[in-house]
Amino acid sequence: MGEDPSRPADLLQGTLELLILRTLATGEKHGYEIAEWIHVASAEALSVEEGALYPALHRLELRGLLSAEWDVSANNRRAKYYRLTAGGRKRLKDTTASWRRTSAAINRVLQGT
Amino acid sequence: MAEWLSSLRLRLWALLRRRQLDQDLQDEVAFHLAMREDQLRRSGAINAGAGARRRFGSVTRIGEELREAWAFAPRMSSLVQDLRYAARTLRRSRGFAFVVVLTLGLGIGANTALFSIINAALIRPLGYADADRLVSVHEGFSQRNIDRFPFSALDFDDLQRYQQSFERVAAYRNVPFELSSGGNPERIEAAKVSAELFRTLGIGPAVGRSFSTAEDRPGVNVAILSWGLWQRRYTADPSIIGQAIQLDRQPYTVIGIMPATFVFPRRGPQVNGQPADLWVPIAFTERERAERASMHTNSVIARLKDGVSLQEARAELSVLAGRIAENYPPLLRNAGFSPRLSAQPIREDISGQFEAPLLMLLAAVALVLLVACANVANLVLSRAAGRRREFAVRTALGARQSRLVQLLLCEASLLSVAGGVTGITVAYWAVKAVPPVITRKIPGLQDVAIDFRVLAFTGVLCLATAVIFALLPLAALDRRSPGDSLRDETSRTTLASKKLRTQRGFVVSTVGLAFVLLVGAGLFIRSFAALMSTDIGFRPAQVVTASMTLPRTFYTTATSVRTFHASLYESLVALPGVRSVALATDLPLTTYELRAFTPEAASIPEGAQPTTHLTWVHGPYFDTLGMTLRRGRFFVDGEHVQNRSVVIINEKLADLFWPGRDPVGKRLKWGIAASGAPWLTIVGVVGNVADGPIGAEPGIHAYEPFRQLPELFLDGAVNQFGRDVKAAVLAQGEPRALAAAIRQEISTLDRELAIQNIELMDQQVSDAVAPQRFSTLLVCAFAAVALFLASVGLYGLLAFTITQRTREIAVRLALGAERRAVMRMVVAQGAQLVAIGLTVGLIVSLGLTRFVASLLYRTNQYDLVTFLTVPAVLTAAALIACVLPAWRAARVEPLTALRAE
Repeated sequence: MGEDPSRPADLLQGTLELLILRTLATGEKHGYEIAEWIHVASAEALSVEEGALYPALHRLELRGLLSAEWDVSANNRRAKYYRLTAGGRKRLKDTTASWRRTSAAINRVLQGT
Repeated sequence: MAEWLSSLRLRLWALLRRRQLDQDLQDEVAFHLAMREDQLRRSGAINAGAGARRRFGSVTRIGEELREAWAFAPRMSSLVQDLRYAARTLRRSRGFAFVVVLTLGLGIGANTALFSIINAALIRPLGYADADRLVSVHEGFSQRNIDRFPFSALDFDDLQRYQQSFERVAAYRNVPFELSSGGNPERIEAAKVSAELFRTLGIGPAVGRSFSTAEDRPGVNVAILSWGLWQRRYTADPSIIGQAIQLDRQPYTVIGIMPATFVFPRRGPQVNGQPADLWVPIAFTERERAERASMHTNSVIARLKDGVSLQEARAELSVLAGRIAENYPPLLRNAGFSPRLSAQPIREDISGQFEAPLLMLLAAVALVLLVACANVANLVLSRAAGRRREFAVRTALGARQSRLVQLLLCEASLLSVAGGVTGITVAYWAVKAVPPVITRKIPGLQDVAIDFRVLAFTGVLCLATAVIFALLPLAALDRRSPGDSLRDETSRTTLASKKLRTQRGFVVSTVGLAFVLLVGAGLFIRSFAALMSTDIGFRPAQVVTASMTLPRTFYTTATSVRTFHASLYESLVALPGVRSVALATDLPLTTYELRAFTPEAASIPEGAQPTTHLTWVHGPYFDTLGMTLRRGRFFVDGEHVQNRSVVIINEKLADLFWPGRDPVGKRLKWGIAASGAPWLTIVGVVGNVADGPIGAEPGIHAYEPFRQLPELFLDGAVNQFGRDVKAAVLAQGEPRALAAAIRQEISTLDRELAIQNIELMDQQVSDAVAPQRFSTLLVCAFAAVALFLASVGLYGLLAFTITQRTREIAVRLALGAERRAVMRMVVAQGAQLVAIGLTVGLIVSLGLTRFVASLLYRTNQYDLVTFLTVPAVLTAAALIACVLPAWRAARVEPLTALRAE
């Protein structure tokens, strides 16, 4: 009973995690804010199924890369706020570096230099 | 490390605060949806709520995924959930579950039962150390057609002295003893064994010690008890060690007690195959060591040296046989006595003969399970067709395909586990129902147990059945989008016939498998009928027999034995209701002594050396057993007084050595031509009598009056030859009624003498064919079950298609089709499947029957009667299975059926 590879969440899981970590680097946010932030920051190019964000968030929380706390939001609703832990920060640094190397390599291939 | 800890803390929290977690997960999703809805409404969307949900994706699926992520052991929660759901679903369709569990239970039960028998007979350890290094060694005299024969004392001595391949060799033989201390006199089965035996087997006594080499000589009376005898007769009193017990009315000192699990000899071999309750040293006497080619009574077991293979040992034995032969006097060697030696693993010696029939039965019962699985698979498929709508809805609601598979597997495993539990229960009772006449014959069957091997076997069966009946239908399930399925379901179009391909395949294979099993059953019935119609050469009706062994020490002289014979004969003949009485060393269906002889003025066939079975008789033996006289006369009373020795031979002996001539008046003598034995005159020739398994070719046989038994034979006190007494009593009326009187007469003669058993001769004949009857019955039962299941499967499929095609049939009828044509259509559909099944079955059967050919008696593996009857029976059964649904189809009321849509 493996994961269905055609589901965007699986395909983009690694990427999605990187994006979440990057988003939270600017401060604690709740799920909706993270979704909006990714949406806007990627200039609306990356549009994932919004629901898929939550399993990714919870997995990161369970792995200790994020910590979460319930609080009251700006419009007086109960919301769950996520923030990077030390481990999360380190993971973001590592992943960003390796992502840069990969994308640079891909660019070189694409540009044929 | 810290991350791992925080994860564990979170999961523990989730486990303990389940409700809180559920609430949190719901709240978080609800919060997101609310925020999105607000945003959409602000940007002017018409249906903001729906839009938010659309952008979010499947709320159910995400929720499920989140719960799965938080589960303490991932996946477990969904599995438990599915199991619970499956149990609930099955509880709702009780009829379905009942039929499936029952079908599987019977199939698995029959397999488990048979496997537990095979486990007991062929697999379970024998209880000796490194039993696969143990071999049994046999002698043989190929020129005399004597194969796999026990050893004589001298030949065993030589083997022990010369051999290099074995770490240890030991001889043993069964002897009955009369045990008369610690309770009533009792005849017990014992064994005389080399002092080396227990060390060869690698098992020592649980209490006390085993025999020392010094004790392995005549005159030392020591004994080792079995655990069972110690418990039963001496109330497990440890102080029995060092005390004396009375064996054959002589004191023996008990020196040890073997462990409870120790069984030796093992049941199975033709000679020396009676588990002993007591062991004494074999202690060969001078008399036993007196001559070669005489008193071959000792079985030999040996342990291979480390690094020596069975092949190497066999090679050494064949060389060794030549050296032993050199020790034979030239006279004997020239007369065809030069021994051969052979060795085989003890497992083969014990249960080799049962391997083929048992494996054949296992194959048959496995086919039954396959038929059962195919039927269950069809049931599951039919049910799945009905549940297509349920699955479509679940898929539409966001259930993943893998989750559906998991759900179906949960149902299947619940069913097969229930089937397995039923199966073990069935097996437990089935094994108990095996008649004792079978359990007495097959080694290890005295205590068939459901041990871990049997449980593992059943477990694997359950798994395999679950795979067959759950995964195959799953593979056949259509993979169309839920929308299509739902539309299809609501519009109820006719079912495309190709979708039933799997189900048809299952029905065809059940018919084919049933064919194979029916052919097997047919062949076995024919073989058994042939066996039952063989001429056994004597009349068992109304004959009751009693057997006993006179103890060596009390009946020391030939005169004392003869006096016992005469008195027993007189007292039995005097009983009311007795027509005639005979005493003999052995009765039909068994053999006793094997002797070399020299015929006078005979034409000895090329390469053959005369050897015959011999029976000593007292009284009108041939009349009592209804044997036929071919030539000459029977013995007459007082014959011995004339100092003229006489003998009667069987037809086979006469035909072999005096073909076409009258042997009456010719003479023969025991031993080789140069032997000092007296010449015996042949006074009569009797018909051949079954002297072993019924159906086997009877051997050469001779009969001599007991009064002629030489004194020397009885004086030696070496073995029980001549001391075994079998009384055959022909009754005027009901033979059973005589049993008590016979017992009374024997104990009047000798109060301490233990009677081994009193049996009806009829019963012994019936027991002799019990294994064949048993396997025939089993194969027939398997075939009947397969036939029934195949018919039910066919019926089920046709009934199912008719339900699916009600609308089509209604339309046809409304358009004027005749009802008879509708019936024909249904029957034709069934007949087509049956025809394919028959063809497949025929081809498979023709290929498989050669595997049972060796188990058949006077029956051709391509027996025409069988191969004609089987298709007829199958077709008849199939026709019945077709007619009922066809009749139902023809009774469809077009208007009612169409309105129902």
